[in-house]
Amino acid sequence: MKEIKIAVVGNPNTGKSTLINALAKARLQVGNWPGVTVEKKEALLKEGDYNLRFIDLPGAYSLTPFSLEEKITRDFLFLEKPEVILCVVDTTNLERNLYFVVQLMELGIPMVLALNMFDEAKKLNYKVDVKLLEELLRLKAIPTVATKGEGIEELKEAIVKIYEEKLLPRSLSYGEDMDTLIERTRFILLKLNPEVDNSSLSKALVIKVLEGDKELLEKINLKSDLQEVRTYLNHLEEVHGIDVESYLADVRYGLSAGVVRKVLTKPEIKKITLTERVDRLFLNRYLGIPIFLLMMWFLFKIAFDIANPYVDFLDETIAGPVMKWCSKGLEFFSSPEWLSSLVLDGIIGGVGIVLSFLPVISMIMFLITFLESSGYMARAAFIMDRLMRTFGVQGKSFIPMLMGFGCNVPSVYATRVLEQEKERKLTIFLVPFMSCGARLPVYVVFVNAFFEKASGTVLFSLYVLGIVVAIIVGIIFHKLVYKGVSSPFIMELPPYRLPTLRDLRVHTWMKLRHFVIKAGTWILAINILVWSLLNLPWKPETPGESLLGRVGSVIAPLFKPLGFGNWESASSLLAGSLAKEVVVSTMAQIYGSEEEAKEEEQASLSEDLLNIAKNFWEKTLEAINNLISTLGIATLTAEEPEEAKGLLPRIQEHFTPLSAFSFTVFVLLYWPCFVYGIALKAELGSFRLYLQAILLHTLVAWFVALIIYQIGRILGF
Amino acid sequence: MKLSELKKGERGKIVALNLKGALKKRFQEMGILPGEEVSVERVAPLGDPVDIYIKGYHLSLRKEEAEGIEVEVLK
Repeated sequence: MKEIKIAVVGNPNTGKSTLINALAKARLQVGNWPGVTVEKKEALLKEGDYNLRFIDLPGAYSLTPFSLEEKITRDFLFLEKPEVILCVVDTTNLERNLYFVVQLMELGIPMVLALNMFDEAKKLNYKVDVKLLEELLRLKAIPTVATKGEGIEELKEAIVKIYEEKLLPRSLSYGEDMDTLIERTRFILLKLNPEVDNSSLSKALVIKVLEGDKELLEKINLKSDLQEVRTYLNHLEEVHGIDVESYLADVRYGLSAGVVRKVLTKPEIKKITLTERVDRLFLNRYLGIPIFLLMMWFLFKIAFDIANPYVDFLDETIAGPVMKWCSKGLEFFSSPEWLSSLVLDGIIGGVGIVLSFLPVISMIMFLITFLESSGYMARAAFIMDRLMRTFGVQGKSFIPMLMGFGCNVPSVYATRVLEQEKERKLTIFLVPFMSCGARLPVYVVFVNAFFEKASGTVLFSLYVLGIVVAIIVGIIFHKLVYKGVSSPFIMELPPYRLPTLRDLRVHTWMKLRHFVIKAGTWILAINILVWSLLNLPWKPETPGESLLGRVGSVIAPLFKPLGFGNWESASSLLAGSLAKEVVVSTMAQIYGSEEEAKEEEQASLSEDLLNIAKNFWEKTLEAINNLISTLGIATLTAEEPEEAKGLLPRIQEHFTPLSAFSFTVFVLLYWPCFVYGIALKAELGSFRLYLQAILLHTLVAWFVALIIYQIGRILGF
Repeated sequence: MKLSELKKGERGKIVALNLKGALKKRFQEMGILPGEEVSVERVAPLGDPVDIYIKGYHLSLRKEEAEGIEVEVLK
């Protein structure tokens, strides 16, 4: 069966994502672009005698890239030669969208337009002459409403039809002088590159030569020499009084305005839209910031309130029935003691702790996705820009930083929206100061051991401390390292829109999968490694004599001034440098290896399964209840993992409240986890920068914990 | 007059772009072109950036960048 390769493109905020989700339904494949880590969505669908392969390209305003995402779009369109382009346009904002369409037409690839948000346009009393539009541009245009799945079938039919007809978009005239210039340049390019034939040398490519897009020309390996067309170029610039790029922008906008005048009739009076009214409130001079803070507060509150019961559920299930039946199974197969220990302590215990925090992270990512696709995040960036500039980043850095509270790894990828390399670097460096969900188990154990009465306040103070440290480090970097650079902040403020459930699901998963993959692979491996280090040389008398214990003893004195100079903490911190959540599971392994006796419940497997189901239902009721009573006080609490229960008395022996606080602060700030390092390397292309980040964060953590512990001691805590 | 000097609610017509390089190009591609009508819709609570309305959509940019856009005030 013949496959048609279709590039799905469009301006940001046109509902492109929604459309591809609606097109693909369950067939959506999420992956990464080779070499870069931008999410790549693909779908393979059958239509008649063809397989349609849709490739979703990052949203772009133009083929002259300004951000890294736009570069991917440009490169794909020029280098991968899609057979059909599906361009999604926002019908309510036709003129600016058509600018990009006019530019895409230069590529000389059959095109289908999805006139998306057609229902909104209708509501505004816009009338679009679709037939005329098709005729003027020589392409297919299909009205669609992606959120309701309208027009999807027609799109697929149109794609096949235009592919079979081999209908190329109309070559629009850019004015006599420009047309001559393009023809002359084409002639010269063909002479310089005899292997290139006329049909594959698109107008878009000739224009790229005139623009001097060296990066692209090198990738294509096209020789060019502007010397011979210099006279034509000068002539154009003299006659029109502007440079060739300004001329092109002008003429493309002129054409798109011309088309819009012919095909679109809209009412004279501009209706005051809902977005307008909402923004009057949300972006109000005085109310804007309070509303923003309230939103953020609710985001975390709702996330924790809904997630907490499920966290408990997973804890109870893993520490209870799962452990029990695995241990029974191991007994049944009379597995050797070391294997049972590895499976139960190393694997199930460790990964269990990580997985049990999945609900918190999922909820945070879900709510962020909601704010993002509803259009509020752009407003948050708008409000925060001025403030964030003072510490060297900008409004658009806000989203990755907020995501950092869920998991730092997708945050690193989310910095792609930042155009300036230096801002990206700084944002990536600051993200680990945002306390991710994986650090929560560590806090929770210590908070429950020492600060049970003020657990909410202590947890909250840790989150705030992370932000404060990020701001201070940011200001220092901004003043000393990256001084004086200020990059522009150009951002569209899209209309508010209600996201569909399917979109929320897909995009939450895209953020979440990094954490799940991490828990399933790295954390598993690290837990096995830690287990081995704790049990080697085989069967140490006490954990202190294991490899990990010995190394821990060596570095323990470094932590003496911070209040926790014992080898147990040092060893746990060492293991936690790979992933912070491992700190607790390591402690549990170190301390737990002594306590064994657990009460044995005599329940059959079916009873256990029933109990699990019952428990799940109860927790769901609890979550609903929490959500309803969400207006109460902040419940930034999470109950400790079941298996950590035995840990509490041991921790109380080894720590004082002050040293416990100092320890949690250290865990908050030190050594960004290994998976973050992998993401950083992928994004910034250098492992050295991860080493720098390790050094920076660990030093900062050491000093902050030192200050807290020493001042605390002076104050008599 | 510069775009950055327009007050909230005022309208202007773009006369010239006194910018260079990639920024100028991006502004042009976002529809900020001589002859175009523009209005300042809002100023962020902390005084910067501003939200302008141009070619039927909202765009936010900093005052610093708006300084490079010359306008004549429309009544």
